[in-house]
Amino acid sequence: MKTIIKQYQSHFLKGITFATMSFLMLLSCSDFLEPDDPFGQIPYVEIFEDEATAIAAVTTLYAKLRDDVLLTGNSSGLSVRMGLYADELDFYGMPGESAFEIYQHQIIASNSAVQSTWNSTYNLIHMANAALEGLEKSEALSQNLKNQLRGESLFIRAFSHVHLLNLFGNIPYITTTDFQVNKDVSRLPQNTVYEFILTDLNEAKTLLDENYIGEERTRVNKAGISALLARVHLYRGNWQEAEAQCNSVINNTALYSLEPNIENEFLINSNSAILQFKPKNFGTNTHEASTFIFISVPPPFLALTNSLVEAFEENDLRRTHWIGELSDDTQTWYHAHKYKATGNTGMSLEYSIVFRLAEIYLIRAEARAMQNNLQGALQDLNTIRARAGLENAVAGSQSELITAILNERRFELFTEHGHRWFDIKRLNRASQILSPIKPGWRETNTLWPIPEADLLINPNLQPQNPGY
Amino acid sequence: MKNKYQPNQIKQLFIACTIMLPLSFSLLAQTPSTLEVQGQINDGTSPIPGATVLIKGEQRGAVSDFNGQYSIIAQSNDTLVISFVGYTTVEEPVNNRNTINVVMQEDATTLREVVINAGYYSVKDRERTGSISRITAEEIENQPVNNPLATMQGRMAGVDISETSGVPGSGFNIQIRGRSSIAAGNAPLYIIDGVPFDSQSMGFQDTSNGILPGSNISPLNAINPASIESIEVLKDADATAIYGSRGANGVVLITTKKGKEGKTRFSIQSATGIAHTENRVKLLNTEQYLEMRREAFANDGIEEFPFNAYDVNGTWDQNRYTDWQKELLGGQANLKQLQASISGGNQHTQFYLSGLAQNETTVFPGGFNYDRITANSNLNHQSDNRKFEVSLNVGFSLEDNKLPNFDPAFTAPNLAPNAPALFDEEGNLNWENSSWTNPLANLEGNYTSASQNLFSSLSMGYHITPQLQAKLNAGYGTSQLKDNNTFPHTMFDPAWGMDSSASMIIVQENDKSFWIAEPQIHWSKEWENNALNIILGSTFQKQTFDRHGLIAIGFPSDRFINNVSAATTLIVTNENKTEYTTQSLFARVNYNLKEKLFFNLTGRRDGSSRFGPDNKYGNFGAVGAAWIFSEELKLPWLNFGKFRSSYGLTGNDQIGDYQYLHNYIITDDQYEDNIGLTPTRLFNPHFKWEENKKWELALDLGFFQNRLSTTLAYYNNRSSNQLIQYPLPGTTGFTGILANLDALVENSGWEVELAAKIIRKKNFKWNADFNLSIPKNKLLEFPGLENSTYNNQLVIGQSLNIVKLYKLQGVNPETGLFEFVDFNNDGMITAVGDRQYIADLSPEFYGGLNNNLQYKNWSLNVFFQFMKKRGFNEYRLTNPAGTLSNQPVGVLDRWQNPGDNATMQRFTSGADPEAFNAYSRFTQSTGAISDASFIRLKTMALSYTLTLKDLTSCKLSLQGQNLLTLTNFKGADPEQLNGFMPPLRRITFGVELNF
Repeated sequence: MKTIIKQYQSHFLKGITFATMSFLMLLSCSDFLEPDDPFGQIPYVEIFEDEATAIAAVTTLYAKLRDDVLLTGNSSGLSVRMGLYADELDFYGMPGESAFEIYQHQIIASNSAVQSTWNSTYNLIHMANAALEGLEKSEALSQNLKNQLRGESLFIRAFSHVHLLNLFGNIPYITTTDFQVNKDVSRLPQNTVYEFILTDLNEAKTLLDENYIGEERTRVNKAGISALLARVHLYRGNWQEAEAQCNSVINNTALYSLEPNIENEFLINSNSAILQFKPKNFGTNTHEASTFIFISVPPPFLALTNSLVEAFEENDLRRTHWIGELSDDTQTWYHAHKYKATGNTGMSLEYSIVFRLAEIYLIRAEARAMQNNLQGALQDLNTIRARAGLENAVAGSQSELITAILNERRFELFTEHGHRWFDIKRLNRASQILSPIKPGWRETNTLWPIPEADLLINPNLQPQNPGY
Repeated sequence: MKNKYQPNQIKQLFIACTIMLPLSFSLLAQTPSTLEVQGQINDGTSPIPGATVLIKGEQRGAVSDFNGQYSIIAQSNDTLVISFVGYTTVEEPVNNRNTINVVMQEDATTLREVVINAGYYSVKDRERTGSISRITAEEIENQPVNNPLATMQGRMAGVDISETSGVPGSGFNIQIRGRSSIAAGNAPLYIIDGVPFDSQSMGFQDTSNGILPGSNISPLNAINPASIESIEVLKDADATAIYGSRGANGVVLITTKKGKEGKTRFSIQSATGIAHTENRVKLLNTEQYLEMRREAFANDGIEEFPFNAYDVNGTWDQNRYTDWQKELLGGQANLKQLQASISGGNQHTQFYLSGLAQNETTVFPGGFNYDRITANSNLNHQSDNRKFEVSLNVGFSLEDNKLPNFDPAFTAPNLAPNAPALFDEEGNLNWENSSWTNPLANLEGNYTSASQNLFSSLSMGYHITPQLQAKLNAGYGTSQLKDNNTFPHTMFDPAWGMDSSASMIIVQENDKSFWIAEPQIHWSKEWENNALNIILGSTFQKQTFDRHGLIAIGFPSDRFINNVSAATTLIVTNENKTEYTTQSLFARVNYNLKEKLFFNLTGRRDGSSRFGPDNKYGNFGAVGAAWIFSEELKLPWLNFGKFRSSYGLTGNDQIGDYQYLHNYIITDDQYEDNIGLTPTRLFNPHFKWEENKKWELALDLGFFQNRLSTTLAYYNNRSSNQLIQYPLPGTTGFTGILANLDALVENSGWEVELAAKIIRKKNFKWNADFNLSIPKNKLLEFPGLENSTYNNQLVIGQSLNIVKLYKLQGVNPETGLFEFVDFNNDGMITAVGDRQYIADLSPEFYGGLNNNLQYKNWSLNVFFQFMKKRGFNEYRLTNPAGTLSNQPVGVLDRWQNPGDNATMQRFTSGADPEAFNAYSRFTQSTGAISDASFIRLKTMALSYTLTLKDLTSCKLSLQGQNLLTLTNFKGADPEQLNGFMPPLRRITFGVELNF
């Protein structure tokens, strides 16, 4: 028994020693409080010192555009939202969804779709800026790779601002990740924003190569920058510059030519494509196909407006090839059918297109028409019409030609990234076109409201756009 | 063993031992002999069950049974200490007697002798310097609830608890003495049997957010309330500062039941019952609803109903009526449970084992249910010489929960009353040609969760000398939560043309484990009129948390939806592993003079992995003092009086892990052959814990032999260095950043606790307890608030729980639209300028009144909870009146013609932007809040105890929870205002057998 007690005693003497030691350890051993790096996270400082992670940080920007932000073909992208806002799409979902409010023009400053468009786009801009700052400091990457990645990041930053500008009007231009700066930013006049956009794009153009990275057209190259520059100059009415940018793309016949058969326009190896998004998973296709196509009626979510379908000229190949239809006993509904492949097809068949040659022709047509080069304009317009199986348009007045080009854009570019809305807005035809069909239409709807939450947090963003 | 000793050796050993045993005892005592003492404890008339019999100077003891009988192994020279709450403690020397019957005298002054658990130490109620509230098994067992937090609701001053949802498995909001943190966690620290229990929910938004509010799955669901002996809540600095950076929000100590010496006892309890929703919102019927819709279109100048106005354009049957709240939430849940326990032991070793099996269905249509199995065990041992003691507690639980994906409480009030039938003639879900979303479609998919929890604690102590004890507290635990959401294609309108290739399952797995070791030294000394207690200890704790999630899409058939390996597409949605470590030193010095003056000094130096490199350590501490003045006064009616006060500093580290790192995280944004990499957050390396300075002054009084006792306390707590997820405009790329700010939040208030023994007849006893809290929450300082992102949420001098609203002026008799006060007089109503009305949603006061009545074998417990506050009402979550969405009946008092004076504006179908906007503002105006005060009959329990034989008894009980609510509130429930399923009314009948 005694020995047992002794054992206890010696045991506990050890215990005391341990306790005392641990007090001392507390003073010395601070490693205990330094946890391992969290699983699945990489310190910011290491990202741009390694080729693979630096490239991944930049390609993630494309992935965000493909799946979440602005250009995505799912219901949160501009193709759906601005299609509903303009006269392209009818909404068949449940009232109360944010898409319904967009469709009805019942937007208030706290609208969740407006807020999410704003937040997700600025988040993308933050990511682009983080990449630009990381590349700037990087020591390990080659200059070539740095140039390439910088060019792509500048492109995404500029492109994001182009959309924000056209949706919200005067906006801040964000060029840093420093939140102390970004939290108090003020809105800039549109011209100033455009100057920033042009600076970024012009630099990107010098940094990027003529050719694509890899076999596919899924990373932006010099021609992609030109395509965006052409659009920006068109929106601003800089006709000469717009035409020059178009020329540089159209004349690059080694890479680009209009697919003669419009069936091939949206396929992965389309020669018309200037920039496409690679799907996330091998063998899958586009969000657009699953968003727009329906296989029973009445459609559960969206359908093309009858007014759009009926406006096509007879024999327009785009009407027959790019629009699908489905009927019940009494009625027919139409859907966009530019992208046809859904699900996993083993090998991907279609990639979602960001820029394609047809838009460039139509930009040049408009730019030429505005410079009174009506013949040149007509020639570009008819290039597009011819491919659609239509007769040549005949010469008329300048304004008739502009209307013809606007119509052609409607038929060529429908349900692609909100082109229709941005066109009728910039040509001041929104009111004329929408007031008869949208009971909620008001003149001030040409701009979306600055999200209420942001306006409350950062008073420098005031004043709110008129009407909200 | 067997191989080592031959039989003859064993014999020798045995002889040696028999000689040694008395010898070794002789070293400890003079001439002892061991004997079994038996007897009965009574109050002169009737037996006292539950009285404690202890050997003086030891922790070992027995408890009297239902007939007052006890038995204990003692030594002839021991002294028995017999105690029971409300009676004078009796000391009886054994003196070689085998039978000792004890008659106890009632003396309420001994209430003060109750030993209160204070965490690292325990303290007599009489001598405590800190603020501690307590409930015991007796109160807990009266309540037919699942979660220990539910048992505390309304029963403790300063503790505000509300249930987040009536769905089984959901969580609770708890605030001890108000909200001290603007943005970091306000949850208290939980300690079970001496070991911290991580109360942070493992639920994740991907799977559980639709049915369990905020994905809050209370880990405390793993604790069976019936296994709890007592719950203590530590409130002031004196009690909480020893917990340092985790003590700011208060500490909840849960002590589980322990084994007691004596005959082995069995207890079996079976209960069965029902639960259902208590209140519903009064909504329009079909006739009223259709009138509203037609009027809305007429108001908007729309003559032909649009194609999607299915309810009025003839698509839907206009004579149908369905009470959707009744249809979707009006079911009856069945409750079943079976519990058993065994306890017993001898003088050295005691054990306690208990188990619970439980099944509960829900009020939703469909086969949803919640199953739970828990097991608890406790083992105590003391060495022969009583110098060494060890106690082990192990608790284990399994929970399975199957619920709908989304809480139908959100859809039910909005569905049109003439919406189509749920099923077509063939019994399939009816989609009425894609004109509606069938609410039962949600129930095609479901949310299932399986959780496991193992929690163990070990406490060892050794008295090196009578004054000096070395102790080690250690604990280990793991918990897993695996849950998933299924979305079979049958959830969707067949018009979408989906098949099982679109079926989806979201799977989430969470694993948490921790260990803790706390070596300590306790030293105490008494001399003349002085006593000194010192504790010195340190803590090492490490917790790891693994989480990963998957989405699997596309199955050969919906049958395989739970087999993610059968899916065509697998997406990893999250994969996380986090570590949380703390390392601390703590100490307590307690001194008392003549058992009248008490001083208590506590402190802790805390290190935490949650803070940036420059701020790894912080110091916390408190001083408390008490003075028992009643003995000086010698007033006949005042038998106890004590002043106590404390002041100190505590901290709050509930800000998540790794928040100071500047990282990219791997996401599923693959592009080409590259992984997705996304910045995790905006970078700020300089943050640390919040600080909370607490001050308290209290008076404890006992009148008329403690038949009436009361505590009156005033506290004032100030939290600074606020950790804030500082909201930022979207232009920063994020919606917020975590930072410390010199904001100062004050929680002050009064707390009153009263306990009265109103009637104390032999056959009839009536005890009542009352508590009242009058809290005040105030933002004192916030440098640069005007220019900060919080400007629209907080106001200096106001509570943190304010909301800024438009001030509703009423309906303009000419235009028929809601009008609001134009605070900035700019002629427009804007959020920035005119959402300036401040409504404080914190409770003005709250409390409870508990009554225990006993008549012969009958006992009745009636508990009322009450609260005065304002809250968002039934209009808050409505769509504009006149759109395709049902409305509270209140909308009928609407404007129709110029000149009308109405409370509600004219109906609109949504096509009138002005009316639509005005209504949207209305839901953010003073019109959307109303008084949400209530008095609730929270618990009523009636039981009858039948004594069959000596130790055998049978107890029948009928228990009810949330039975009746008195309120003017017109929403679904005044307690819980988040739109989810309100807490349920539960009624159970139980039989308990003890033998």
